[in-house]
Amino acid sequence: MPQPPAATTSLRSLARQTWLLARNDLRQEMRDFELVATAGFFTLVVLVMFGLSFSTLGRYAQPMAVPGILWLAVAFVGSLTLTRIFDREREADTLRALLAAPVHRLAIYLAKAGVTLAVLLGCCAILVPGLVLMFDAAAPFAERPLATFSLVFLGCAAYATIGTLFAAGLSTSGGKNVLLSVILYPLTSPALMFALVSTRTLLDGHPGFEGYLSQLVALDILQLVVSAWLFESVLVGTAGGSSRRKRSAGRRT
Amino acid sequence: MSGEAGQGGAITPLALHGVGKRFGRLAVLRAVDLEVVAGEIVGLVGANGSGKTTLLSIVAGLLPQSEGERCFGGRPSPTVEMEHRRRLAFVTHTTQLYGGLTARENLKLFAELRCAADAPWIDGGPLLERLGLSHAADRMVGTFSRGMMQRLALARALAGRPELLLLDEPFTSLDRPGRRLLAEVLAEERARGLAVLLSSHDTDAIIEVTDRVVLLEGGRLIDAAALESDDPERLRYRAAVQGLGLFSARSPGPSASSTAAVSA
Amino acid sequence: MGRTLPLVLFAFGAGTFPYCVQRVFFSTPMERQMGTVQKIFYFHVPLAWIMMLMGVVCGIAAAIQLRRQSSRAEATAIAAAEIVLVAGLGVLITGPIWGHATWGKAWTWDARQVSTGLLWLIFAAYVLVRHYGAAGSERLAAALAIFGAIDVPIIYYAVKIWKTTHPDNNVVGTLPPEMWATLWPCLAALLAMSLGLMLTRIRQEVAEISLDEGWVRIDDVVRSMTAKDDGKDADKDDGKDADKDASKDEE
Repeated sequence: MPQPPAATTSLRSLARQTWLLARNDLRQEMRDFELVATAGFFTLVVLVMFGLSFSTLGRYAQPMAVPGILWLAVAFVGSLTLTRIFDREREADTLRALLAAPVHRLAIYLAKAGVTLAVLLGCCAILVPGLVLMFDAAAPFAERPLATFSLVFLGCAAYATIGTLFAAGLSTSGGKNVLLSVILYPLTSPALMFALVSTRTLLDGHPGFEGYLSQLVALDILQLVVSAWLFESVLVGTAGGSSRRKRSAGRRT
Repeated sequence: MSGEAGQGGAITPLALHGVGKRFGRLAVLRAVDLEVVAGEIVGLVGANGSGKTTLLSIVAGLLPQSEGERCFGGRPSPTVEMEHRRRLAFVTHTTQLYGGLTARENLKLFAELRCAADAPWIDGGPLLERLGLSHAADRMVGTFSRGMMQRLALARALAGRPELLLLDEPFTSLDRPGRRLLAEVLAEERARGLAVLLSSHDTDAIIEVTDRVVLLEGGRLIDAAALESDDPERLRYRAAVQGLGLFSARSPGPSASSTAAVSA
Repeated sequence: MGRTLPLVLFAFGAGTFPYCVQRVFFSTPMERQMGTVQKIFYFHVPLAWIMMLMGVVCGIAAAIQLRRQSSRAEATAIAAAEIVLVAGLGVLITGPIWGHATWGKAWTWDARQVSTGLLWLIFAAYVLVRHYGAAGSERLAAALAIFGAIDVPIIYYAVKIWKTTHPDNNVVGTLPPEMWATLWPCLAALLAMSLGLMLTRIRQEVAEISLDEGWVRIDDVVRSMTAKDDGKDADKDDGKDADKDASKDEE
């Protein structure tokens, strides 16, 4: 597809297919709200557990603890969400149907990452106000809603970009779900750390907040590009190496 | 549909040359040569674990082969690109339908994914009716029986008007009328020029629908017509295949000339 | 060469190592503040470098494996990941010992410590996935290794901004020449050892793959021999088995 018109049409069809797939997931979700209900409830439980564990922290310790609580909760909820999103595909093996259909693999990745991000943001809609209620130190979240939203959005996106790649890979390889946690927690640690740093600067009213946020944007883009690049090779793989092909060609003649 | 295949005039939707697949020391497929030409229904028989599903998955591009070459429309295709996926459809024995959508929505989703942005998608209604599902068109697929799902999966595959249809164990959960319906539908589509590769371990059922049969055993395609053995199951294959008089890895069928053109 | 090169490396390592120990204890000045404990530095730092190097090697090999489906690259990635684990274990043991003596605390959440620890965790995850993953997860593991290699500098940077008040980081930059003169032989010895280990491991993996191939080919020959009495099977690829043997294929 070297000509620009072909490229634009394929870009358009990519966007369209992404939208169709995301809409399909959302539509199924709207029917039973299974994912939103379970993930939302889980968020609440995690929030209460953290609240119980850290409610006695003094006012100097709180600003240190709140970022950790926020992003650890996101990590917990994220692994649950990713497992569930791909369970839906795994139950009837529908991901394979999508892979065999004339669908851009990138569209599958983007749609799934988008839905994961949406669910995580929904959970953060519980998490962030909950933290504001529970901890005085979390008040800046309420005072700077726009900054908070961009922070939460970028942090969740960093989580979703990596998580979607590996959850999808595991669901087609018939791998065990345990492995998802094994992979996800170490691999998302850079995202977690950047989110932590940015959150703490937000809570401290540190002037460097925007700078850290833009670093988070850079991390998001890097992870998105690498994951999108790897997605097809991880899910489908490429055919045999050249040496093997040569050998079999020799045998045929 | 055959119009867009277009490269060499003669259409060989699928040709495999020396395709092999290994998982570690397990050679699931060994040097499989197979051609399927337009308007031909080829049956792939073999015992459980003989490599039928693996072969179909490789053709559909869901598994990379370890060796050998896969050609679509006469040209080697190391990866199954969009354009190829547009021309083939794969119905597996796990029916791969969204249980949380209705039959019509399932069809519509894949039809929309297939279509260009502004082209109208093909309405699934007539197809559902043809496959006897119109009464259940707006029911959740999760409530379907396996046979119904199988028929819906077939409808979804046909909705894309493929040139090559891959069916993995299509008879497994179909009742007698269902099988007859499948045979009829396949015959109609063949008349349209569809090439079909279908797998089954059910020799009787496969005889009803196919033009020729290839036997996959231990990962190889075997000349089933010349089998000599004491194994009753293999004798049954032989009887069935000889009854058809149809075995050959290279098609002697109606479009033999086009096959020759490609393999030359 | 395939067999001798690791042996040469091992021999070199074994020969250099006593020399290194001798240099470490007799030819280097005693560090004023840290005292004898500082000597662990001569093993700690080379191990850390080897670990980082192998992490990058693993990531690159995994990328080649994904692009070309090359089994040699796959073997290299596996071997490199395992060296990361072994060298990392060394780093993570020597580091806290040194830290305890210097900073009074074994683990200070210093950027180097954390990035080393996380890198080790990522490659442990790689080995776990390779070991327990189903068929097809070797590609997943490859992606994991690629991300692991990319993550190293990011984590390092992130921890650095997270803990802006960490202990002095410039240990290596300002060494007196005697220390450098000892560090290099130590690095050479340990690098030779780990390269030798890696090559041995690669050979092992490659041997396993060719063993599988050989197994398949023997199976072919046996089949074509048993099929001979059916006659006219000139091409062994079209040969068939007259009796189904036990090696039943699975999907």
